[in-house]
Amino acid sequence: MAIEVKVRSPQLRLLLAGLSFFVAVALVPLVAALVVIAASQGMGEATRQVFFNIAKWARIFVYALTAAILLVLAYGPLSRLRLWLIGKREDRWDRPWERARFFLLYGIGQGRMPNDLYAGLMHLLIFWGWTFLFIGTVMLAFHDDFVEYLEGHVYLGYSLALDLAGVAATVGILMALYRRYLWKHPKMRLGSLWDDVALLWLMLAILLTGFVIEGMRVGMTELQGATIDVHGGIASDPNWAPWSPIGFLIGKAALESGASQGFMELLHKSLWWLHLAMATGWVAWVGYGKISHILLGSANIFLRKLSPTGAALAGTALPPIADFETAERFGAGYLRDFTWKQLMDVDVCVRCGRCEAHCPAYNTGKELTPMGFLQDIKRYLTEAGPRLLAARRKGEEVKEERAIAGDVVSFNTIWDCVTCGACEYQCPLFIEHIPKLMDMRRYLVMEQASMPETAQATLMQLEQRGHPWRGTQLTRTTWIEELAREGVEVPMFDGSQEYLYWVGCTGALQERNVRVTKAIVRLLLQAGVSFGVLGAEETCSGDPARRLGNEYLFQMQAQQNIETFKAKGVKKVIANCPHCFNTIRHEYPQLDGRFEVVHHTQLFAQLVAEGRLEPRTINELWGFPVTYHDPCYLARHNNIMGEPRQLLAAMDLETVEMERHRGHTFCCGAGGGHMWVEESKGQRINHVRTAEAAGTGARVIAVACPFCLQMFEEGVGSVPEAARKGMQVLDVAELLERSVAYSRAAATR
Amino acid sequence: MALHIICCVKQVPDPETPASQFRVDEAAKKVIPAPGIAPVPSQFDTIGVEAALRIRDALGDVKISVVSMGPDSFRDAIKHCLAMGADDGYLINDPALHEADHWVTAQVLAAAIQKLAPFDLVITGRQAVDWDMGVVGPTLAELLGIPCVTIAKDVKVQDGKVVVERVLLDGFETVEAPLPAVVTVSNELGEPRYPQLRQIMMAARKQVTVWTAADLGLNPAQLQNRVNVEALYIPETKVETEFIEGDTVEEKVDRLLQRLREAKLI
Ligand code: SF4
Ligand code: SF4
Repeated sequence: MAIEVKVRSPQLRLLLAGLSFFVAVALVPLVAALVVIAASQGMGEATRQVFFNIAKWARIFVYALTAAILLVLAYGPLSRLRLWLIGKREDRWDRPWERARFFLLYGIGQGRMPNDLYAGLMHLLIFWGWTFLFIGTVMLAFHDDFVEYLEGHVYLGYSLALDLAGVAATVGILMALYRRYLWKHPKMRLGSLWDDVALLWLMLAILLTGFVIEGMRVGMTELQGATIDVHGGIASDPNWAPWSPIGFLIGKAALESGASQGFMELLHKSLWWLHLAMATGWVAWVGYGKISHILLGSANIFLRKLSPTGAALAGTALPPIADFETAERFGAGYLRDFTWKQLMDVDVCVRCGRCEAHCPAYNTGKELTPMGFLQDIKRYLTEAGPRLLAARRKGEEVKEERAIAGDVVSFNTIWDCVTCGACEYQCPLFIEHIPKLMDMRRYLVMEQASMPETAQATLMQLEQRGHPWRGTQLTRTTWIEELAREGVEVPMFDGSQEYLYWVGCTGALQERNVRVTKAIVRLLLQAGVSFGVLGAEETCSGDPARRLGNEYLFQMQAQQNIETFKAKGVKKVIANCPHCFNTIRHEYPQLDGRFEVVHHTQLFAQLVAEGRLEPRTINELWGFPVTYHDPCYLARHNNIMGEPRQLLAAMDLETVEMERHRGHTFCCGAGGGHMWVEESKGQRINHVRTAEAAGTGARVIAVACPFCLQMFEEGVGSVPEAARKGMQVLDVAELLERSVAYSRAAATR
Repeated sequence: MALHIICCVKQVPDPETPASQFRVDEAAKKVIPAPGIAPVPSQFDTIGVEAALRIRDALGDVKISVVSMGPDSFRDAIKHCLAMGADDGYLINDPALHEADHWVTAQVLAAAIQKLAPFDLVITGRQAVDWDMGVVGPTLAELLGIPCVTIAKDVKVQDGKVVVERVLLDGFETVEAPLPAVVTVSNELGEPRYPQLRQIMMAARKQVTVWTAADLGLNPAQLQNRVNVEALYIPETKVETEFIEGDTVEEKVDRLLQRLREAKLI
């Protein structure tokens, strides 16, 4: 039963979101209005008697009840807010207009929902159906107590629209029940607390009782042409009835089955009170259970992290520790080390399972699940939070019995994360998983010195040697000397060139990656790009240190590079490592290093478009399909997905896509410092991904990241499907170089 | 009373220097430092500090001093040990001692250790990872007139004695020695700990006490090296390839076997 419809293309997803928005907001009432005007000639008097069959005092009672319920409702979020304030301060109120726009797109517009089409549609139906019913109820109260405007065509259209909304919501709820009880979708793993389950049944009951009440009313009034107590008494008309189609059907059925007037009255009255009780109960619930995402989830979307540099996800640029001397604690070990927004995130999660379903760690059998660790913190916050608050109020020293990092959230959970961003990319509520995991890593590393052995060795290596490649026999200038022997002079950056080509540790110190570096340099030279390199003056960009939790080391390394850049007059940087690219682009500005960075695939796409590089078909790859693997830090964290594909298209290569591509890409396993850290258990992430690539029928895996290159090279040697086919792994630049070399040869021939 | 452990550490050229960068000055019989490659603390010595820290973790009241002899750059190695958790650092920096061999080194370190007395335990690495001689530890014990236990994989202090598990070629043995004693440790003891950031910051602020030979009451002129380096060079490795020809596979195999037998390889 595991058919899941997914929409992969971001354009299509946005289109769908917009469309659904349009359908719900504009189309339903529009169609209702048009139908009414066309078909309801001569029904200018149509209306209904509010509080039909119900005691007069009920009106007052309903208003009093509403006020009380609103208080109960408000208490929920306020009590949670108090718990969040255990956390540290953080400003989330900048750029309000951008926030509002974002909220429209992803809150009201639900822009992330079409990622899972079934669940998205289900949610859309419930959401809009329910919203209309709610608005309808408010409209009715306004009509009854202030201005009577629900009359004639307007009333009939209103009635039709609400019935349609009720049907939509019912269909949505039935889809949800089907998914939960019959399909048993794996995403529901944690989504069956009594709260989640009871909610669905309650909403179904509210809808069904609403329809029956309507049916009884229609049956007792309109269908019998009875006089209703409006404007001192007017006759209702059976022609009005079909404008409440569901009520019409139910009422008609009741009359036809010979239900007595007394029975109908009794049923109407008792269900009316039941419906009222359930509906108000539901409203109160909005302050508490899963359904509170209507308020809290919306707020969370509005309060998401906005990046000054255009980073796509909250985890794209990690927040810096501003002052090491005065920091009370490095990273987050305890509840109060998180910011209020981080604690809010934890509370807001609706256990929809989307993050988990895409997490490479979880899906290869590791301990980490992004949804799970949020829920663990939430449980502890709920249990220990009030105690901490009480202590704080009494002015006592706040002692937390359990650490979050390493206890509530396990050591392996914290270390399993490859910072790929799949979780953040999927989460409809814009919960920010990565910064939390990384803050906990910081605590483990800088406060506890507690980390996997391989991570420790890597950090030591970075500290002592300024690069992560232990035991390399190359230096940062070996490749330059080698090219010189081939007669290729590599320009050194001296401030006179336009670009600095940032080679990166892997590009200089790993034999396989040196081949890519050389290809890039030859292409740049051939296209006449003005560039230079730093040679021995480069040091690690800082990405591995930062993502392995040593923020101190990161800042030292970044600072050193920023100083070098500034001293040499660097303005624009070319990087072929998406991790360096990301760090220089989004994280150096935190330390006052502002440089323009392009990825080599971007620059090459531009050079090809300008005709400065002329790729042609690569004969030896003729008929060998190529699949392009999107690096997480390029595609998901930086929205660069088109240019590498443009290059492959320009080379006239036959391409096939993997099932998970573009923003939905599946990590190669090397992000977050994991290039050098042993995986804790389960399948190896790179093997899973290599098998996926092999499954496309491709013979070549095209990559755009030095770590992906390493991971796939290992993968194609170890995964039988790939090894049997003799799959090759090549950087897009290597392919381009072959293609351009061929085109040159062809031109001179 | 607090136990006092003294750890001797040395700074060495990075053992992971790419072979292509490793050069010696054959005339001066010296290693030329590879450009841009920073020296590192000798790994066995930091394992020695780890051993001392483990004793402190077990007993609590332990003071750990770190002693090193060398130029000012050796401070980094001392700071690293302080960041790991050692209490005090001492550097004997005297230009007259920069060419010292193991014998002179041991005499200077012994003098420094005596200056730091009372002490209960001296821990060194089994050998420094540059020259790999492994004699400073035992020489120190000789000069101090105390017992020496080498190549330890576990060091404990119990009832005024040191209990050491030693690594042998075919297993382990456990020996005891009265305190004070010298123990040299091996990598079987385990990885040295990763310094916590707070300690790194604290270590950065700590002062390293610097002594000259005179401060230790020594006269460099009377300290004579006993080791003479005759020659220093990078050994050459030659690979010669010989193709075994033949008309059939059998013939080639036969000739190959014959050649291998001649070369006494089989
Ligand atoms: S960043 Fe990737 S690995 Fe880490 S929790 Fe999210 S999905 Fe899992
Ligand atoms: S974190 Fe987001 S995606 Fe994950 S379960 Fe919670 S709400 Fe769903």
